[in-house]
Amino acid sequence: MAAADSPSAALRRDLCSRGIRLAGKMRADVVDLLDAYVEQQGLDASASVAAVEGVPLAAVERWDEQTGTQRLLENLAAYRAFRALLAQMLEEQREQLGEADAGLGRALAAVLLQVSAFAYHLEELLRLESRGIPGEEEEDGPPPPPRLSLFEQKLRGLGVLRELAQWAVRSVRDLRQLAKPSPATGAAPSLAESP
Amino acid sequence: MPPPPLPMLPLLLLLCPLLPRADPLSYPAVISPQDPTLLIGSSLVATCTVSPDFPLKAEDLYWTLNGRRLPAASYAALGPSTLSVALARLNGSRQQSGDNLVCHSRDGGILAGSCLYVGLPPEKPVNITCWSKNMKDLTCKWAPGTEGETFLHTNYTLKYKRRWYGQDNTCQEYHTAGTYSCHIPKDLALFTPYEIWVEASNRLGVAVSDVVMLDILDVVTTDPPSDVHVSRVGDLEDQLSVRWSSPPALKDFLFQAKYQIQYRVEDSSEWKVVDDVGNQTSCRLAGLRPGTVYFVQVRCNPFSIYGSKKAGIWSDWSNPTAASTPRSERVAGGCDPKGGEQNTTLRRELKQFFGWVKKHAYGCSNLGIKLYDQWRVWLQKSHKTRNQVGSSRR
Repeated sequence: MAAADSPSAALRRDLCSRGIRLAGKMRADVVDLLDAYVEQQGLDASASVAAVEGVPLAAVERWDEQTGTQRLLENLAAYRAFRALLAQMLEEQREQLGEADAGLGRALAAVLLQVSAFAYHLEELLRLESRGIPGEEEEDGPPPPPRLSLFEQKLRGLGVLRELAQWAVRSVRDLRQLAKPSPATGAAPSLAESP
Repeated sequence: MPPPPLPMLPLLLLLCPLLPRADPLSYPAVISPQDPTLLIGSSLVATCTVSPDFPLKAEDLYWTLNGRRLPAASYAALGPSTLSVALARLNGSRQQSGDNLVCHSRDGGILAGSCLYVGLPPEKPVNITCWSKNMKDLTCKWAPGTEGETFLHTNYTLKYKRRWYGQDNTCQEYHTAGTYSCHIPKDLALFTPYEIWVEASNRLGVAVSDVVMLDILDVVTTDPPSDVHVSRVGDLEDQLSVRWSSPPALKDFLFQAKYQIQYRVEDSSEWKVVDDVGNQTSCRLAGLRPGTVYFVQVRCNPFSIYGSKKAGIWSDWSNPTAASTPRSERVAGGCDPKGGEQNTTLRRELKQFFGWVKKHAYGCSNLGIKLYDQWRVWLQKSHKTRNQVGSSRR
């Protein structure tokens, strides 16, 4: 019952439902961006790009068994990686085409912003549980990105956007799990205990 | 037994993170040349060489260009694991990000890819025109050359300098007034000529426009006139009066201004232009349809700023202002069977008019259509007063 919720449980539920909306909007925008990207790069939308170096995979085994904290930490690591990958794509796009396709550049920048906002949202959720926020790799100096040929850059972009679209779906499900009230207390489960 | 399907190239990147990226043998195949730039109509022979670590032979490979499989007749096996493809008379690239030439394994997997940039060198940009809004900035636009399309991403840079002693400056704000335009917001000097030119560059070369010379004072434009008011002229059903204020930004400068008005009826997109307004800040539109909504816009041309001899540049049009003409009381169209009666009315009106002129006009210099209009306003007012008196008596 809502009246019986502790303030932190209510806050968590509120953060989760806002996160779900953010992820849903992000998913819709990424799908649109993917269409525009495939057309602009002259790629086959069904081209097999199984996995791309540095791109976190949304696919997960035993998803039901993950704890809440585990979900948040995996999401955070993924969106931090996407933030770096999208920034790199944007940079390459500007280098290659300047303002020639400003529409695609703007759409990429908009998704990058959404990814950053979502990562921040996840950090808020972790803070709520008094969990330490893992440091970002950039602080230790990331290894320089490998120099790819122009065709490889195109394929990597396709892989990044496809996987980001998958992650957005997974994040909605993860946050729904987190928002579920615990059957015992009626309140939301502790992140560490939630299955 | 058929060889197992190969992992895709990106998957291989994932599986072999420890292999140095620069080593071409780390990948299933390499295409040569990698990402070439070519002129339209030229030919290309590309080769796909599979790494000896992979059990693939030349006959296991095929090529696609932008997703379309290239005919086997254009292939040649140059070695046990090297397949070439010959592309003749290449067309311009389908997308500016380059055509995708891809080498596949028999099962469709991507072994390697190369982007082909096929196009033309840029042409000399032409038709550079510039304008300064209130002498504070400068915007220039140009056309990309006679042919235009180069099929390659072409970068345009607008450069400018003061004619005798300036150093080259590069404009920074592009696309402000269309695709081929740039805006210089500040740090412009007056009373000195500028040299302006545009450099076009792409993967196939550079082309520089002719240099245009201009003085900021000769290319000044201004804001549209403000406070545009449109009102009725008494009950005259075919006229509207337009008044406006001169653009505030130019009030302090030594300049002359001329104006233009354009108007249209609500349900038409065709504007009628009145261009003999001169430097007046009011005008009467005549010959309008009774009971009709009109949209009116005004623009300003500042000229002779600080004595400049050049024709000014028209401002944008003001936002449309709407007003309606009064509804006609007479029934429009059709035949009036009482022609004789109408003649008598006309005669009476004319007699009345000449009587009024005797009272209100001095000499003949003022006798014109405006005077006639004034009389009609007076007449309608007096009718109205009479009607009001009549109705209050009833």
